[in-house]
Amino acid sequence: MNYKNKLVSSIPVVAASYLGPPLTPNLDSAWDESKLPLSPDDLVQKIMGQPMRRAGRFIKLVCCGALACLKSVPAGDLKDKKIGIFLATGLGNVDEILPFITQVFKHEGGFPRPNQFANSVSNAAAFFLAKVSEIKGVVLTVSQEELSFESALWLAQSYLERGEIEMALVGGCDVFTPTAEDYRERMDLRPDNHRSMPMGEGSSWLLLGKTSGKKIGNILAVELDHNSKVQQHLSSPENILSDVEKIAGQLIGKPNKQKIVLPGFRLTDIDHSFFKDQGWKVEDYLPHCGIHPTATAYGLARAMLSCPSAFLVHCNYHAAGRQTLVAAVTE
Amino acid sequence: MTKRNIDIRGWGAVTTLGWSARESAKNLITGKVLAGDFCTSSHLINRELKAFEIAYNGNPLEKAWAMIDSALTEAFSRANLTAAEISESCLLVGTTGGLFIRNEYEFTEIVRQNPGKESPPIACRNRGPGEVADAIANKYGINGMIMTFSMACVSSSHALVVAAQLLEQKKIRRAIVVGFEPLLNLTLQGFASLLLYDDEKCRPFCANRSGMQIGEASAAVILEASSSSSKRKSTYRFAGGYLFNDNNSLTSAGVDGELAGNVIGQTLTAAEISPAEIVAIKAHGTGTRDNDLSEGRGLTNVFGDNLPPVVSLKGAIGHTLGAAGAVETALWLSCLEEGMLPKSFGFTQIDPDLGFAPSQINIPAKDGAYLFTFFGFGGTCTSYIVMRNKYEHNNEL
Repeated sequence: MNYKNKLVSSIPVVAASYLGPPLTPNLDSAWDESKLPLSPDDLVQKIMGQPMRRAGRFIKLVCCGALACLKSVPAGDLKDKKIGIFLATGLGNVDEILPFITQVFKHEGGFPRPNQFANSVSNAAAFFLAKVSEIKGVVLTVSQEELSFESALWLAQSYLERGEIEMALVGGCDVFTPTAEDYRERMDLRPDNHRSMPMGEGSSWLLLGKTSGKKIGNILAVELDHNSKVQQHLSSPENILSDVEKIAGQLIGKPNKQKIVLPGFRLTDIDHSFFKDQGWKVEDYLPHCGIHPTATAYGLARAMLSCPSAFLVHCNYHAAGRQTLVAAVTE
Repeated sequence: MTKRNIDIRGWGAVTTLGWSARESAKNLITGKVLAGDFCTSSHLINRELKAFEIAYNGNPLEKAWAMIDSALTEAFSRANLTAAEISESCLLVGTTGGLFIRNEYEFTEIVRQNPGKESPPIACRNRGPGEVADAIANKYGINGMIMTFSMACVSSSHALVVAAQLLEQKKIRRAIVVGFEPLLNLTLQGFASLLLYDDEKCRPFCANRSGMQIGEASAAVILEASSSSSKRKSTYRFAGGYLFNDNNSLTSAGVDGELAGNVIGQTLTAAEISPAEIVAIKAHGTGTRDNDLSEGRGLTNVFGDNLPPVVSLKGAIGHTLGAAGAVETALWLSCLEEGMLPKSFGFTQIDPDLGFAPSQINIPAKDGAYLFTFFGFGGTCTSYIVMRNKYEHNNEL
């Protein structure tokens, strides 16, 4: 029985943006886990032109990341388009939930702030994004641990295929919330089930669909294989190579583009020279964003913007052994 | 939007009325309904907020799992699903709190076991809303697509509509849609802080209403694409649904009823059903001023003087938040199986701003179309039609 959920048709990627710990859109820079979390208020001011006083970090990063993506497209290309929002998050607005629940237990329920609760509700960020981007209709918050972004991407494609929306703004956002140790526990990170990297955060977005304007590439496939496999199998370079070669063969035959593997944080064994010998470049994006549940969105958006004429395959798996592959090409 | 070719193959639920949808429906119909009361669970720290709490002899974390297991077991049994069918199914979960109860339970246990010592800060160890789906998939061997919708009060109603859409597109073969919400300090205190909590009683659509009361519940509803070649004929169909997100207000769907009316109108259009064909309405009916005004006015905008019987289940089981879609659907279906539509509990006086009373007597269930509505935090709206078939009715289950 084949339990794979595959995306059937390719989707044009009109725009992308990525926002990692430096809190500057589409910029890589050195960062330090011990300095996180940084205040996003300057970024909010820059992107939105006014402060978001009542919103928490998660909501601010969702809005800034998504708006950075939308604003990179000429307004005319989006005019009168039916756009759906698909916000993926593994952990959601923990930054709002924790202080609220702390306050509840501190005072036995007497004095928590209503705004804090309102912002802690799971879909508050999607609402604020819908409001600032003036989008109504299909606005979904999808959460499935480290498969959240891939699941949202798959769902967005099904909506585009149905014709219910013309464009899909699909993004992943998770925020760094101290302590790093608690964060690792929330993500079920054990010594043997992830690459050794600092914890991070990101708000990274793709705008998908057909427009008369330019595109930066195409998402060719999203494969979610829910058959649990053993970790050693999923992390073996030989098996990863086999999987990416297979998907490349199915999608584009012998590509005349540079072949790039984007390894997710669960892949423990990344041997650059092994892949190089087989004609694949490894683009390890994690040093720029750290581990977070929706890091796939960061890796993919960054590669869409910075790797021209490339065939990209993002590989990762869930701690329970479910494998995900996302394949894309850039112009 | 979805159309009308989706079978409802099975369902199950755990509510304060019983540890199965069938038991809950029987108690609802016979009036064995207790109003929300002060809570006793060890993890709940405020004893002054009334809620609908499920009785259980054990700790609240064990209870949460027992609720999920019981709803799934009933649904699988009713649907007569084989292990292979369960394995190939897709799992869509709607929840807001997920397993946040673990944090609250562990914290209160630490405090209880260390009297006189300073409490540590509460830690957040749960793995986000998706943890419930992951645990269910692992336990029951579900190998299809797994996805969690965490969208406040429409979480599982949205999941039902999305599941129907994916079935219609043949993206999936079968969907197990789960709604789950345990009682949490987080939500009890949260809604109280917003001054949306009724200290006395949950009174949907009543002039004396002053807010909601939360209930805990779990449910599973199994949807499958209809097959003309199948020997099995389903009595119930998911006949069309619509989901919409407005961006005007975080907390209100607009008291003029325009948004609610539009959503209901779109649902009827999607299902190709006229207002006159609706047998009864399972309303969201939270008992908050804004919800009942926006929903009530929306209903009268669509149905005018011909409003079918309107029932809110929240006076009987509380507002089960993200689980409400799956829970209220499962409970309603079991009421239909029992042959009776329940009355709406908690109502005493017509609100002149609404001009109608929710159904105050049990009504014999008829074949035909039933409208379900849900409105939630963040401008979220879901509405769908469940159809009981006229000529394929059977009472085998």
